[in-house]
Amino acid sequence: MSLEFDRSIIGSEFDRTQNDPVTQDEVDAYVAACGEPVAGPGLAPPMFVLALRSERFMPENLPNLGRAAFDAGKDIDLGSPIRVGDRLLSVSTIHEIYEKTGRTGTMRFLVLRTTVTNQDEELVAVIDQKMMFR
Amino acid sequence: MILDLHTHSEASEDSRAPVETYLKWLTKKRELLPIDGIVLTEHRQWNPDVDYRDLEDKYQILILRGAEVETDYGHILVYGVNDDIAQRFDFTNVRLSAQEVVHEVARMGGVAAPCHPGRPTIGLCEHYASRPALDGVVTVEALNGGSRRGENERVQELIDKHGYRSFGGSDSHLVSFVGICATEFEDEVRNIDELVRVLKAGTYRPVDYRDRLKQAA
Repeated sequence: MSLEFDRSIIGSEFDRTQNDPVTQDEVDAYVAACGEPVAGPGLAPPMFVLALRSERFMPENLPNLGRAAFDAGKDIDLGSPIRVGDRLLSVSTIHEIYEKTGRTGTMRFLVLRTTVTNQDEELVAVIDQKMMFR
Repeated sequence: MILDLHTHSEASEDSRAPVETYLKWLTKKRELLPIDGIVLTEHRQWNPDVDYRDLEDKYQILILRGAEVETDYGHILVYGVNDDIAQRFDFTNVRLSAQEVVHEVARMGGVAAPCHPGRPTIGLCEHYASRPALDGVVTVEALNGGSRRGENERVQELIDKHGYRSFGGSDSHLVSFVGICATEFEDEVRNIDELVRVLKAGTYRPVDYRDRLKQAA
């Protein structure tokens, strides 16, 4: 069955989370857990951005994409480094929904884009989270 | 003249390969991979505004463009995409009619060539087992660099039975895969129109550089 949906949802914002200031304890805990090297004093490792938690993980207005899903990976573009004390804003939108066919049949992909900026409105990261459904 | 007729750049959602990095890689590997040009066949899309002439001049490697579309008989490479073809088909539709693609692309000046025919679900062989053969197919991708064991081998029977011409392509999604399989043409190909012409009526054959690369490693 072909995937038909109201394309006006593409680009729509479904979450806006103002995170608490980044603490040294959070950075230390991330480094200890992931083993990612510290870039410098007061700096968080680049992938620390993935430790941020949005208030809403999934949009509410999705079309029926299927019952089974898995994480199909992330594309991350990094910008300004994250520093202890930064107040990070995460804004998430429905970036794309598309179908493709492969060896195992038809798959539907949902791409959620989260743009992270700091208190100076500098771009910290753009994260495209892909999920595959069937 | 040797062209890799099936490549994907970062314009495809499942590739991470910048076009210029392909060209740098081919330049670096020139002795092992004598590729004169590549054809970018991005998944389910056609962007008429892309222009790689500066990169062609810089690296002296021909860059042509096509598209890989998805149909009820599997994936099909479309060469010679023009405004008529782009308007006729919704390239994002994964359920295009293969017969319409083959006929209409030819009528509008291009050529539609089924790729990785031996692949399950998205290859011609499996569909031919239960449905009529497509009318108007002139060539198929007999050698695909992304195929798993046995998938390329299934294609020879298809070619013998239907009299198709055959070509090769890397189906590269990563830089180091570009050119591992390609097509050697007797004629010179300088642009997409010439590629369409020779694919329909010229002399060419798939070439495989994987063993050569393996031995050099």
